[in-house]
Amino acid sequence: MTTPSKFDLPQGTLDLLILRVVALGSIHGYAIAQQIQLISKEALQVQQGSLYPALHRLENKNFLVAEWGPTETGREAKFYRLTAKGRTQLRAETESWERLTEIVAMILRQPLGERL
Amino acid sequence: MNWFQRLSKTGRMEKDLDAELRFHFETQVADKIQAGLSEAEARRATRLEFGGLDQIKQDCRESRGTLWLVSILQDLRFGARILAKSPGFSVTAIVVLALGIGVCTLAFSLYNIAALQSLPVHDPATVVRIQRRSPENITPGLPYASIAYYRDNAKSLSAVMETMGSAPLVLNQDEQRVSATFVSSNYFSELGAAAASGRLFDAAQDDAASAPACVLSYRLWQRRFDGDPSIVGRAIRLGGRPATVIGVASEAFASLGTDDPDIWLPLLQHSYFVEGSKPLADPKFEGLIAMWGRLAPGVSRSSAEQELLSLTNQLRKIYPTVIWDHEYIVITPGAHFLSFEGGPGAPPVLPLVALLVFLILAIACANLGGLLLARGAGRQREIQLRFDLGARKLRVFRQLLTENLLLGSLGSIAALPLSYAVLRLVLVYSNAPAWMSAMPDWRVFLFTVTMGFFAALLFGLLPTLQMVRRKKNRSLWHQFVVCAQVGASCVLLILAGLLVRATLHTLYSDPGFGYEQVLSIDPGMSEHGFASVQAQTYLDQLQSRLRAVPGVTFVAIARVPPLVNTMIMMTSIDVAGRRIMIYPNWVGPDFFQTMRIPLLRGHYFHNGEKNAVILSESLARKRWPSEDPIGKKWEKSNDVVVGVVGNTRAMELNNTDATEIYYPPTADDFPAMAVLVRAAGDPNTLTPTIKAIAGSIDTGLYPTITPLTAGFRKSVSQVEQIATIVSLLGSVAIFLAVVGLLGLVSYAVSQRTREIAIRLALGANRMEIFTAVLRRFAWPVLLGLVAGVAITAGLSQILRRALYGISGLDPISYMGAMAILIAILAAAALLPIRRAFQLDIARTLHFE
Repeated sequence: MTTPSKFDLPQGTLDLLILRVVALGSIHGYAIAQQIQLISKEALQVQQGSLYPALHRLENKNFLVAEWGPTETGREAKFYRLTAKGRTQLRAETESWERLTEIVAMILRQPLGERL
Repeated sequence: MNWFQRLSKTGRMEKDLDAELRFHFETQVADKIQAGLSEAEARRATRLEFGGLDQIKQDCRESRGTLWLVSILQDLRFGARILAKSPGFSVTAIVVLALGIGVCTLAFSLYNIAALQSLPVHDPATVVRIQRRSPENITPGLPYASIAYYRDNAKSLSAVMETMGSAPLVLNQDEQRVSATFVSSNYFSELGAAAASGRLFDAAQDDAASAPACVLSYRLWQRRFDGDPSIVGRAIRLGGRPATVIGVASEAFASLGTDDPDIWLPLLQHSYFVEGSKPLADPKFEGLIAMWGRLAPGVSRSSAEQELLSLTNQLRKIYPTVIWDHEYIVITPGAHFLSFEGGPGAPPVLPLVALLVFLILAIACANLGGLLLARGAGRQREIQLRFDLGARKLRVFRQLLTENLLLGSLGSIAALPLSYAVLRLVLVYSNAPAWMSAMPDWRVFLFTVTMGFFAALLFGLLPTLQMVRRKKNRSLWHQFVVCAQVGASCVLLILAGLLVRATLHTLYSDPGFGYEQVLSIDPGMSEHGFASVQAQTYLDQLQSRLRAVPGVTFVAIARVPPLVNTMIMMTSIDVAGRRIMIYPNWVGPDFFQTMRIPLLRGHYFHNGEKNAVILSESLARKRWPSEDPIGKKWEKSNDVVVGVVGNTRAMELNNTDATEIYYPPTADDFPAMAVLVRAAGDPNTLTPTIKAIAGSIDTGLYPTITPLTAGFRKSVSQVEQIATIVSLLGSVAIFLAVVGLLGLVSYAVSQRTREIAIRLALGANRMEIFTAVLRRFAWPVLLGLVAGVAITAGLSQILRRALYGISGLDPISYMGAMAILIAILAAAALLPIRRAFQLDIARTLHFE
């Protein structure tokens, strides 16, 4: 809210990104936000206000499971892990995302003024 | 974790959520400090980035999916507190709802008992009623020959029962006759009935020659024999015939259909109790033997119909004259008190009652809406505060809706005992069979809860939406509420007025004939199998003996004795494409003098006159509007019109325009004839003499002697009952309208307290203020009145038959109802305004 993200993520994209990041290994919420920011080279900033509801939603759908454990600094944090169901979901979502972007790109690449 | 676990671990999850977010917060702060910010700065920046922590938490809770339940519980608790805080409003709302829902529940309970509940008999689902139909004919009964054939051959029926009503029988020497029903010997055992004392019919009654037996109803046993158990095994006389009481049916026994007789007799012994009758032997017997069956296991009603249809076709070969063309069998569920099948032309009672009842509910709901709205104004500040604290519209809306639902369920809960109490009264008052219970069953519960739900939802919705949208202008909804209330109350009041007027009209207007001093004597010859010559002899003897009795002025015979007739006959002719319904009667020459029906033209029947008809004035006018009917041929017959007599409302008290045609009796009519006797003084003093004379002519007959006044009173009491019910509904409607208007005007006044105070302070005329406040209600009231009148005018066409000679547009009823309504509404409006006039001007202005 205070720092506007550079992009407005399309509906459902955040869930996909979270699944992807969590797929790399057990990770807590703050680190997920950091990772997304890092990988996107600061282009994406995930708001806490979107991140946590999304995490809870994915946990509720049994795509993620959470466990409390110590961080490297010794504090207790909630670590999320992908479930088998989440992995399947990630695969399906990734596939459909790729197809979508391909199609969108295909259309956008079509030079203006030409029709098939 | 399923939702229940999540719900039960709410506390733990809240702590986790808090810890998770705090961890994020602290880590972010730590990172910022590492990046070189001071701790205070780092915290400030992080807090800004986080935004509303509570909002995030709320979003997390919502995505968890159990929040709705938690928050509904919260809402309910909060709603209950809110309602408890304003008991005046809550009680009013609950009473209004309870009345509205209660009326609906009561009507539904009655319908439930009559048509939905199964009779308390063994395996009610397989009990069926079997009737014959053809495209031309509908009769409730079947010839015994058909029944016997179906019973012996149908594989889809595991049992067949028969019942046959009877004219009331004389019990011993009692003045009051008892009602009797003839039943097959398996009737009680098939229905799983228990005896209160002795035993019920069984295979012993399969032999027509067995000792004549009867079973008493529990009611008759208590009423007539004081519940004396020694009555079992004793002989009583029924219609002069001795019969042994073999037992008493239990109090809870439910007989099939609407029939609730005092006594049951074996059908096979019909000829013994009704001398000369042969309903079983004669396939052409026109009696009403009702056929009931029990479906064989696994057989559906339609497949049973199929089988019986094929049997009907075989039966036609045996009795070609008895079976109609295209006759088929209709099988309906049998274990219900009533089935609202209703033939064509039957008045739409159910929709009409439903409409009236829902009108009441509509008024109640409109009222509730008005009350909610008025209260919404008072809660504006509270709601605004909640929005300011960040509540979302949907959340506030749901909270308010929950409050309404709470009100709705409280209304339903209050409605149940209300309807129970009234229903009990109704059942006791109407002498209902003992098995009918006022206790609500699951259907009534479900209905009541649903009604409460819908009432709260539908009529709480609009005001709630307006509250949430924070619209200032509510007057449109107000005006709608007023309009709906006034309209609905108007309908009920006018209907009540019409029915009351109709009752008075029937009581105090001339029915066109003199019934006060006339007795009807029905010898019941056709039931006793009299042939026409025998019947004619009997009638001649009885008439001449009666004429000799001092105090008797006229004696006549008629096939359909007015007012006491058990059967109505109708015929019709077409004149210029319009169908005229006519009541026919077959009467002797002295009929018109006996009934004091004036002769307008021509002459009365002569003795033995044939091929003659006499028309009522209205019929003559409709058939020959501008010609003299005397001497004209009647339709396609050889009958000649010999006279025109005054109109009577003998067959249909409610219809001033009823038309009658009179024929001289033919030989076939004699066994069905009744005798009418006009007395110079009190006709009841003649009864013993008449009995003695009838007994001396034929000892086998027990004529039913009824004063026509009794028949008159009976027809009127039905109208009176309807009028009472509608009047009660009307008063409930008025009560609701008063409460509603009181609330709305109070609200309107409270909104304008300051304005009124200023005007008063400036010395305004009170009347002006009064009209200023009320002006906005004038249009909706007027509109409501107009709508009400229009709806009633439409409805009254359906009710025409019940209106006993009152026009459905009777101006007195309409004006009266409107005057009453306006007076009451004005009074309801005056009260809050009077209060406003008494307010302390200085304080009001200061407060604002």
